Amino acid sequence: MTETKTAWEWEISSKTSYWGASLKEMWTFRHLLIGLVKRNFLLKYQQTVLGPFWILFPPLLTLLTYILVFNKFIGIPTGTLPPALFYFAGIILWSFFSDSFSGTASTFKDNAHLFSKVYFPRIIMPLSVISTQLYNFGIQLFLLLLLVAYFWLFEDLALPVGIGILWLPVAVITTAVLAMAMGLFFSVLTAKYRDFSYVIGLGIRLFMYITPVIYPLSAVPEKVRWVVTLNPLSPLFEVFRLSLLGEGTVSLWQLGYSLVFAALLFTASLLLFNKQGDKLIDVV
Amino acid sequence: MTAKTIQVENISKLYRLGTIGTGSFRQDLQQWWNHYILRKKDPFFQLDRCTSINGGQDQIWALRDISFDVMQGESLGIIGSNGSGKSTLLKIISRIVKPTSGTIKGRGTVSSLLEVGTGFNKELTGRENIYISGYILGMSKPEVTAKFDEIVAFSGIEEFIETPVKRYSSGMYVRLAFAVAAHLEPDILIVDEVLAVGDADFQKKCLGKMKEVSQSEGRTILFVSHNMQAINTLCDRAIWLDKGVMKEIGPSSVVINKYIASMQKFQLKQQWPTISEAPGNDHIRFEYVELVPHTEYSDGIIDVRTPLTVKFRFWNLSDDVNIRVSLVLFSYSGDCIFDLLSPATHCQKGIVEGECNITGNFLNDGSYYISLHIARDVSIQLYYFEECLSFDVEDYRGGINYFDKWWGVVRPNFPFLLKQKEVAIQ
Repeated sequence: MTETKTAWEWEISSKTSYWGASLKEMWTFRHLLIGLVKRNFLLKYQQTVLGPFWILFPPLLTLLTYILVFNKFIGIPTGTLPPALFYFAGIILWSFFSDSFSGTASTFKDNAHLFSKVYFPRIIMPLSVISTQLYNFGIQLFLLLLLVAYFWLFEDLALPVGIGILWLPVAVITTAVLAMAMGLFFSVLTAKYRDFSYVIGLGIRLFMYITPVIYPLSAVPEKVRWVVTLNPLSPLFEVFRLSLLGEGTVSLWQLGYSLVFAALLFTASLLLFNKQGDKLIDVV
Repeated sequence: MTAKTIQVENISKLYRLGTIGTGSFRQDLQQWWNHYILRKKDPFFQLDRCTSINGGQDQIWALRDISFDVMQGESLGIIGSNGSGKSTLLKIISRIVKPTSGTIKGRGTVSSLLEVGTGFNKELTGRENIYISGYILGMSKPEVTAKFDEIVAFSGIEEFIETPVKRYSSGMYVRLAFAVAAHLEPDILIVDEVLAVGDADFQKKCLGKMKEVSQSEGRTILFVSHNMQAINTLCDRAIWLDKGVMKEIGPSSVVINKYIASMQKFQLKQQWPTISEAPGNDHIRFEYVELVPHTEYSDGIIDVRTPLTVKFRFWNLSDDVNIRVSLVLFSYSGDCIFDLLSPATHCQKGIVEGECNITGNFLNDGSYYISLHIARDVSIQLYYFEECLSFDVEDYRGGINYFDKWWGVVRPNFPFLLKQKEVAIQ
């Protein structure tokens, strides 16, 4: 009988690859990704009375606070837009970004136990976080659309939604990519040096103030505007508002800057994540 | 002829011990600087086990140059004491950790079962956990759905399937978790000591399932266990790891015997050349104590079948005494198994010798020690030689497929008759 000399199908060595799991391998774990998103969703609302409504309450409460504090007391202008719409758009996109970022940044810390017991492409975990957040964002976006419809019907808001709406997915997806890129980068750092997990919490809060969440870019004094425009998130927020509410200050150049920034950072972070991912199990 | 499924070549794994906090950040930078910028060889690679530049023990070789092949459809057992690198080896083959050097090549899908209930979440129901745990272990949705009823039936918790597992008893939890794992269908299944949990019945069921899977479906199994009976029953070949080095590879029964023989920590003989060094007092001085196992039928290992002979000799330093020696056998936990009295013997000053036979097929498996008590005139103690001999008795069950620890202090084989008296007419 002849032994068929078939090639080895896999090989494990000390070398870690920059490329990580192949797409084919990722495909075999697609059910895991969907399952994890479902799990995240179920877990969050397990034993709560209001259940999934908790996706909507935090942004609504934040909205109320912002209207009271930033609009009524401090009086930050919101352009020609009703404050409620302006803030709510900012709040939901920001919470999407910050939850995605902080969620992915703790990938290794949160899943150390699982990672040390079973193999699957590690990238599945951050992907599941982003997908869960995207799902939540979708529900919040629906509420925002209802608000827009209300203002259009009862408050004489000029119907802002036009062909510009096509830019909305661009803004959302780029925000997701940026959040994941930063998250992957910091997940490697926090796994090795826990100091970074404190930096992240503080950093996110401060980062919000150089992002046009509670103010429009146009309201920023010319002298310090460069700080905000350097932030790759700023054009995305402006585009988001522009496409949905019809008001925002952004040029194609600025948007291009965000896109390129997100793409480069994502590639770099992904390579780092793949390269370091296998080694990190020894240290988390 | 079957093909190789896994080929392990010179696998080594180095662990850095100690804190991986801020202290190592500097070390990381240094290492990176030396390695990539100065192109020096990484200093940590030339180190031997347990030595390092800091003179401490902050580097340890968990595995050293391990090489072996696994054939398709074979069950390979991995044995060794705690910390011998068994789990590290499994983790490397499962792709959870990277080896420090060496390569492993293989074909086919791999599923690893390094703990019971990987990916289980206490908040979710049994049903949800079956799915998520199945996905994590590498099953697809149609696979889980197809096996769902079988899994539930195997675990035997049908009526609790919609209850969050946090309300399960620990036994139910383990059964459900193992049921998922038992229905995996990879080409290579890697199993770490997961059978240590669960009750005896369930363990038997799981081992049976694994055996069935490896034999009938040609699946390759790598199996780590401390249960030698289980390894012997399930595996064709075994590897013995000791402190990260492969000591032995071969047919399981041979490797297991060698391993057990090396593990038997015993003091089978103590001897003192001169009376001044000998333990004792003004009345008694011991010359030697010895335990002679008659291991002709048990490959040099003391197991439950082995007859034992205790021999001792001492100097009696007083004239005209009635000496009686009692041999006390203790289990390792300190319970007295028996206290055996010699006949009282009238002795003069000089050397006294004694011998006592403990028959085979009497002691249960376990660790034991022997103390000798010497008294005169019935009850006046002359000398009590505590723990002078110690030995282990290993398990031996012949063809009996029963994996649990055998109950009881002793395990005699008294004649036991069982026969069919009448056959019912159908």
